[in-house]
Amino acid sequence: MAINFRPFVFPAVLLGALEWWARTTGKGSDALAPPSAAVRAFGGALADGSLLAATGFTLGSAALGLLIGALGGLGLGTLLGLSRRAARLASLSVEVARPVPSVALIPLAMLVFGFGLRMEISVVAFACLWPMLVLTQAAVLQVEPRLLEVAHALQLSPLARFTKIVGPAIVPRLFVALRLCVAIALVVAVTVEIAANPHGMGYALIIAQQSLDPALMLAWLAWIGGVGFAINAAALALQRYVARRMGAEGAA
Amino acid sequence: MTESVLDFDRVAIHLGGREILSPTSLSVRRGEFVCVIGPSGCGKTTLLRAAAGFVAPSAGRVSRHGQPINGPTREVAFVFQDYGRALLPWRTVEANVSLALEAAKVSPADRPARIARVLATVGLGAHAHKFPAQLSGGMQQRVQIARCLAQEPELMLMDEPFGALDAMTRESLQDELARLVREQGLTVVFVTHDLEEALYLGDRVIALRANPTSDKPSLAALIDVPLPLPRDQLSTKEHPEFLRLRRALYQYLGHT
Amino acid sequence: MTRRFDWPGAAGSVAVLAGVVALWWAASHGGWVSRVFLPSPEATLDSLVEGLGAGGELLAFTGATVGRMALGWGLASALGVALGALIGSSAAARVWIAPTLEGIRPLPASAVMPLAMSIFGLSGSMVLAVVAFGAMWPVLLATVHGLAHVHPQLREVAQGLQLGRREVVFKIGLPNALPDILAGMRLSMTVSLIVSVVGEMVASQPGLGQAILLASRAFRASELFAGIVLLGAIGFVSNALLAVAEKKLLRWQHP
Repeated sequence: MAINFRPFVFPAVLLGALEWWARTTGKGSDALAPPSAAVRAFGGALADGSLLAATGFTLGSAALGLLIGALGGLGLGTLLGLSRRAARLASLSVEVARPVPSVALIPLAMLVFGFGLRMEISVVAFACLWPMLVLTQAAVLQVEPRLLEVAHALQLSPLARFTKIVGPAIVPRLFVALRLCVAIALVVAVTVEIAANPHGMGYALIIAQQSLDPALMLAWLAWIGGVGFAINAAALALQRYVARRMGAEGAA
Repeated sequence: MTESVLDFDRVAIHLGGREILSPTSLSVRRGEFVCVIGPSGCGKTTLLRAAAGFVAPSAGRVSRHGQPINGPTREVAFVFQDYGRALLPWRTVEANVSLALEAAKVSPADRPARIARVLATVGLGAHAHKFPAQLSGGMQQRVQIARCLAQEPELMLMDEPFGALDAMTRESLQDELARLVREQGLTVVFVTHDLEEALYLGDRVIALRANPTSDKPSLAALIDVPLPLPRDQLSTKEHPEFLRLRRALYQYLGHT
Repeated sequence: MTRRFDWPGAAGSVAVLAGVVALWWAASHGGWVSRVFLPSPEATLDSLVEGLGAGGELLAFTGATVGRMALGWGLASALGVALGALIGSSAAARVWIAPTLEGIRPLPASAVMPLAMSIFGLSGSMVLAVVAFGAMWPVLLATVHGLAHVHPQLREVAQGLQLGRREVVFKIGLPNALPDILAGMRLSMTVSLIVSVVGEMVASQPGLGQAILLASRAFRASELFAGIVLLGAIGFVSNALLAVAEKKLLRWQHP
């Protein structure tokens, strides 16, 4: 199987240019380092365990925050999708709370939890809750009305209606929403660490910058980007797999 | 200076490893209304696209006035079957027509008059400020035709333009098309799968076969349609000559 | 639209919101949650009014944050559309360059901030640069995507009329991409606000971000909440304005 090399040419050229610049005109810069030095710094962080520890923290807090936020959004979104009355009643409150940027809650979380895991999880959960809610609600509303008529004709109980008809119908779209929330969770977790929380990959990035270690900073930047890319790709693959298995559109 | 607006000289077209059109020769003279019919896969749309310059022939030559063509030009207007995707949905009716004039670098001062004239010809003057989404299928197709007329083309190629419309709209558009083609003296090549439509509209009908072989080439028949003008939906279709031609074409196309 | 306004529904949702506020009031007054973490609604309102009034700093801070957000968003949108049009209209660019852009998409914009700080120091322009950089991607990617997905038949219409390359981009490509671009611009605005706030926190620039961080450190909960309310309001208003603009620009989709 031939790997398509074309996507890699442009970044390779850019990295090559950076390497050349950093070794010549930019030598001794506090901000930029040659990619080769960044690779060495990466190796160092891997060897002394700091890479795994920080990555583990960020991924762990993102995952837990995602779990809480997504479950909450899923539950509320389903409720609001199934019940028009509930949706109408909740609409103003949701519209008021939703636009609050998650980063605005960082100082509040700091106040309540201090630094650490809980603070980050709570901000991530808030950030994931709203998109999950909105998308789940939309997914439930988009369930083919005829399917609901079938459920009615078969006189299914509300629980059976959900587990047999509504639930399976919305699963593909839920995985689309989940993919979006995975991306959000990771971005918010790193952002919380950069802004305040002295743990994780974002914090390691800040420390590298403050210690005037451009090679390490570049290494962390690349690693954060790489982890984000890999996780997003995995989420996309999962979404497509589910879509294919459940015969939904967007399975390409 | 030749009288023939379009010439196919032993044009063959292969697509996807298959011979869609076996070597075919034909000529379209100025002012003619030529209809091309045939079953699915016979290459009638491909033939039309080759005439427009969207597709290059695998063999043979497509020429106009003796010159081989090598791409689409403004002198040839193409009317697509899928009118929804032929109009710009974000532009009003008159802005859609204007596109043809903008492409031809007509000065902004001259455009309104020409647009108004062309819209009046297709009967859409009152709808100039509407968006395509506000129009019925038949009206959208008329907008496309109006835009083609604005090109002031030498040759109009139409790919099953009424195929996606209901029967009543189709019939009224057929009559409208016949009228404006006569008034403007246009040369038209009209592809359709509807035998009766081909006989109703055409001065000549070209019948194509699907899956051509060496003893049964693509070109099955080339017949003249000497029915009286102007054509009429009721009397023309009951004319004995119409019925005879219809039967003949059926046989050429391999129906029994 | 001639649909009657849904009075009972609206009243119900107002009632629910009022109920939430009442719960908030009860929680803070009843001591369920410490006042340190949860100021009472009145205290929050007081801080808001005081901060926004004469002599208060909240108005200036709000202006600073909004200014940063709007300017960054404007720059990001302009750059995003321009670069996106350049890349999206060239099939070669789409093959060689677009994949790299997709690779950068998952990178948190804030992660670029330490690098920017090293290069530009701690300043308002540094934050603005990072905001513009971070907010550019949704618009850029949306423009590239929209331009790449022009329906083949529309392309043939353009060919048939012999439209020049520039004309194809401006008369067909970009209008076709407009729905995508506008959606991208909405996302950009969200990113813009977030990165502005983070920038103020990290680079100690005057604005709501710094204000709420300082309020939190000084345990001034009502000021913190007032700042959060203002940030929510900024998010709400900016999104609403964009939604209105989007509807107007995409009139032709639902005439």
